[in-house]
Amino acid sequence: MTSPNPTASTLASPVGAALNPPTGVATAAPADRRRRVFGLGAGLLVTLLVLGGTVLLSLAVGNKHVPLTDVWASLTGSGAGYADAVVNSRIPRTMLGVLAGGSLAVAGAVMQGLTRNPLADPGLFGVNAGAAAALVTAAAFFGLGSAATSVWVALPGAFVAVVIVYLVGAGGGRATPVRLVLAGVVVTAVIGAYIQAVTLSLPAVFDTYRFWVVGSLAGRDPGVILEVLPFVVAGLLLALGLGPSLNALALGDDTARALGAHVARTRLFGAFATTLLCAAATAAVGPIGFVGLAVPHIMRAVVGSDQRWLLVYCLLGGPILLLLADVLGRIIMSPAELMVGIVTAFIGAPILLLAVRRLKSTA
Amino acid sequence: MSIVTLRAGSWLSVPVRPRSVAVAVSMLFGLLVTAVLSLTLGRLGLAPSEVIPALAGAATGRDAIVFDTLRGPRLAVGIAAGAAFGVAGTLFQTVTRNPLGSPDIIGLSAGASAGAAAFGLLWTGILPLPLGALVGAGVAMALVFLGTGRGFSSPSRMLLVGIGVSAMALAFVQFVIARVGREQATVLAAYLNGSLASRSWDHATTIWISLAVLLPCALALSRRLQLTEMGDEQADTLGAQSAAARILAVLVGMGLATAAVSVVGPVAFIALTAPQIARRLSRSPGPNTVLSALTGAALLALADLLVQQLPGDVQLPVGVLTACLGGIYLGYLLISHWKKGTLA
Repeated sequence: MTSPNPTASTLASPVGAALNPPTGVATAAPADRRRRVFGLGAGLLVTLLVLGGTVLLSLAVGNKHVPLTDVWASLTGSGAGYADAVVNSRIPRTMLGVLAGGSLAVAGAVMQGLTRNPLADPGLFGVNAGAAAALVTAAAFFGLGSAATSVWVALPGAFVAVVIVYLVGAGGGRATPVRLVLAGVVVTAVIGAYIQAVTLSLPAVFDTYRFWVVGSLAGRDPGVILEVLPFVVAGLLLALGLGPSLNALALGDDTARALGAHVARTRLFGAFATTLLCAAATAAVGPIGFVGLAVPHIMRAVVGSDQRWLLVYCLLGGPILLLLADVLGRIIMSPAELMVGIVTAFIGAPILLLAVRRLKSTA
Repeated sequence: MSIVTLRAGSWLSVPVRPRSVAVAVSMLFGLLVTAVLSLTLGRLGLAPSEVIPALAGAATGRDAIVFDTLRGPRLAVGIAAGAAFGVAGTLFQTVTRNPLGSPDIIGLSAGASAGAAAFGLLWTGILPLPLGALVGAGVAMALVFLGTGRGFSSPSRMLLVGIGVSAMALAFVQFVIARVGREQATVLAAYLNGSLASRSWDHATTIWISLAVLLPCALALSRRLQLTEMGDEQADTLGAQSAAARILAVLVGMGLATAAVSVVGPVAFIALTAPQIARRLSRSPGPNTVLSALTGAALLALADLLVQQLPGDVQLPVGVLTACLGGIYLGYLLISHWKKGTLA
């Protein structure tokens, strides 16, 4: 939309990007390019403003609505009374939403770029399920630990799940996008059954994990934020640094190599960043699906296929989607709340349908 | 392969494969053994000598209570629901010409449970629950049909869209549950997985009547469906009216799957695996309707027997076990199709 690039529409999908190299990015006239950068920068500012608005909304809306003026007063330290307490009680879940939303969306974008697969999503590929299974197992056998240890437990779980999905997907030869998703379904089904079996047979684990297993921002210990923060920051820095290599990778492995990109290293770092981000997000808020699929798709329609911009936009877009879903979950059946994972599944699944429709006939 | 044709006068001829008959008889025997075991095993189990009196309604005392309120309806529902899933699976797999086109994979079961949840818990009194489930299943099917962009002709797409539709349907069920029954979370979590626990004779009546009505329809359709496997043109020449047969098969399959889901919840992968096992055992092409029904019944009864007799105090929902085993089978099925190159 903000892009003056005439091929923007064909670039909207990575498949298209693979067929039509993003010439607009690499070889456009300097004036053109400057205009594009200016447009994207302005767009980024707008997105940032939207995110700010969403954060305010997330602090204001809920079982007890707080006027925005009072929210502002609380944030600037001059709030008082009941409204102040309400706003303060919503700060942790809002911060969690920003962290988890950004992590999942960036992880999804890296996955989609890395595998040149428009269907890639941490949830669909079983990463979240793997992390969740590891956490539930640890809770069942060793009791519940802090969130920081949770991330260390979730990491190998997420990693093992990805490896299994890849092995199943490559079991018949090539691991095509569709095959990886189908393999993800298989692995998620089996892991999901395992999680259900553990949580249903151990009531203590069930009580703790009932909301967490669906994915919820509410009722988490505020300390979680600080504990997962280092992992999220590390993952994000690694992921954002991959932008240029992912751009090269979009042209195909051979071309990328010819352009001087380290294909294997990019894959390795990308996989590591994704696992880190997903494990941290899952440890913090539970397995939330479809954010990693939906946000990159929406953002790609805005920025085109330049991965550097896409990653930054996803970093802001993920929190917007997750917080909006959370706000929706608070008002849709007030005074009760709907867990955010349920809302994202309902919003995100149609994006999967659209993505499938746009697949080329290779599927 | 040898085929024997049974004739009655000049108007009825039924081709019968001896191998299929042998497999069906052994499957029936296996089902009987499973049934007797699930009535007799365990702390509350009936004494073996009491099984026949109990079936005849002549049991007394503790055995009567166990049979009438616990094991009897559970077994009756399990057998009928398994059979319904099996037949629904074989109809769908024949119509889509792909083992992956079964109702539990393309989102039909999830849609049915969303419909059941909506009309059973949220908007009560508008439609009876089974009809509500049918509406949900219909909506899910329509979404999958439209979502692929090319109907049911591309199995991979059907699956992918089915994943999305299932995710939405299950999110909706969770929404209903969160809204209606927070205090019964464990019970409802069990229903979401599909469970045979605490079924009543009412459930048994619902599913057996549905089976009694729809199974003959499925049998009547199966010859025509078998012809469609030769290709539409040839089948039409032989009088199969393949397009009509396919639509009817989808409707009957939807009815069966929905009936099963509305009494036991979306038990995963019975509809996927039963017809495949039946087909492999009988080595016969076509829908294998009777054998799929028997296999489905035996599978569900056996899975339920296993979860009932698991060590420990907790009763897992049977759907957890079928999801685990069926998921592994699905992985095997996918890989073998990819290796043969019959699936993108």
